[in-house]
Amino acid sequence: MTEQIPAVEFRHVDKHFGKLHVLRDINLSIMPGEVVVVIGPSGSGKSTLCRTVNRLETIDSGEIYIHGELLPEEGKALAAMRSKVGMVFQSFNLFAHKTVLDNVTMGPTQVLGVKKKEAEEQAMALLARVGVADQAKKVPAQLSGGQQQRVAIARSLAMRPEVMLFDEPTSALDPEMINEVLDVIVELAREGMTMMVVTHEMGFARRVADRVLFMADGVILEEATPDEFFSNPKTDRAREFLDSIAGH
Amino acid sequence: MSAPAVKPIRDSLYEQPGPKTRRRIVVATGIAAVLVLIGIALIIRQFYITGQLDPKYWLLFTRWTTWKFLLTGFMGTLKSAFVAGVLALAGGLILMWGRLSKITPVRWVARAITEFFRGVPSLLFVYFFFIVMPTVGIKMDSFWMITLPAAMSAAGACAEVFRAGVNAVPAGQVEAAKSLGMSKTKTMLLIQLPQAIRFVVPTLISQLVIVVKDTTLAYVVSYADLLQNGRVLIANYDALVSVYLVIAIIYIVLNYLINKASVAIANRSGVKLIDVSKVSS
Repeated sequence: MTEQIPAVEFRHVDKHFGKLHVLRDINLSIMPGEVVVVIGPSGSGKSTLCRTVNRLETIDSGEIYIHGELLPEEGKALAAMRSKVGMVFQSFNLFAHKTVLDNVTMGPTQVLGVKKKEAEEQAMALLARVGVADQAKKVPAQLSGGQQQRVAIARSLAMRPEVMLFDEPTSALDPEMINEVLDVIVELAREGMTMMVVTHEMGFARRVADRVLFMADGVILEEATPDEFFSNPKTDRAREFLDSIAGH
Repeated sequence: MSAPAVKPIRDSLYEQPGPKTRRRIVVATGIAAVLVLIGIALIIRQFYITGQLDPKYWLLFTRWTTWKFLLTGFMGTLKSAFVAGVLALAGGLILMWGRLSKITPVRWVARAITEFFRGVPSLLFVYFFFIVMPTVGIKMDSFWMITLPAAMSAAGACAEVFRAGVNAVPAGQVEAAKSLGMSKTKTMLLIQLPQAIRFVVPTLISQLVIVVKDTTLAYVVSYADLLQNGRVLIANYDALVSVYLVIAIIYIVLNYLINKASVAIANRSGVKLIDVSKVSS
């Protein structure tokens, strides 16, 4: 099968925000079924890296391939590619004027052309899977942060994505709600979903990652298995970072 | 879970008054009330001196025909304002869409039209349809000669209101729609506009007050609105002050009701989208 073709591949990707060089010559392959966790200090470019995969951030040079296909720059081709890449945001971004159920059926009915009834059945199954089926008729503002983020994950899954991107999915949550969201993500990883996760949750990174990337100043400084990285970081920068958060 | 109450802005802006301030407020309120009463008394006295309270100026309001005539005018005002309001909403949407277009010339044209509609006084538009158009052989009904200008002015304002509303929709909503693979048009129609409209409904309804006031230019083209019919009454009964007073009260009540409606709708639609209890610092 397509074992050899990476699900996501960066080749010499560069990006600037004005004078700031946020991504410096990024080369990276994520294989199908692999879970890559990106960590690093704030401002290191890890969120930007994640957002370039579905072109919510454009790049200045280099190429990004998804399953061997060059990421289109605009129009229907880009929209089609985006529909295959799920994205979960730090601030949930559920559609505020729609019920939970409508949030989940929106993508399948409007983009994939799935019939409403079928989409609703699928949505209810997904909502049950992430544990919020009883909230289906509410609007997002009536849910807790943890519930909203689980709905957001269900909304992405409803598109049957080939790759999932998580951009700091628990950073906006109250501490007691973090685990209910992380558990869903771990479950997805176990089922073999290809994922790129930007996070500050080190325990979770250790549990879920096949590979950990450590970024600083727009560069991927280290790439290692979680065991290797957390027990024996190679760069001073990574050691400093781990020390600084170990105090918690 | 009950819907959270929306905190009135006044409560967030001002501190609760302390005992001294409360006393001062009571005194100031008393003085202000006395001054207002004196003012009203002076006006009535002046009316009395100049003979405006003479029954001959007021007896016409005991006749059904007077009220029927005013009601006809009132319906004319409502009809013109309603049609102008609907046209302004549609025109405003189109202009707003144009201004957000990716195609530069479309953006320019929409911008130029918006600024033109907004910047030119409605009266000039009325003159245009009333005086200029007939010279090129286009004769319109007086209804349209007043309704179109009112609609044009309001459309320019509505376009800006809609644009503000669309810009107020958080960027994350658009990103979420994009990440699902939604097209720009679908994102606008399904995500941005429905939320934008909820944000701006109160402002749009207040805009209707301006439309209502614009329709009073109807006298220029002799369209039978409330004010025009009032002028006919004045001519017939030689009762200037009394008729204008009654008409002013009718306009005030109408516009007050429109404002009330906008506040009611604002309270209803605001609750669904914004949960103040969850907005953290």
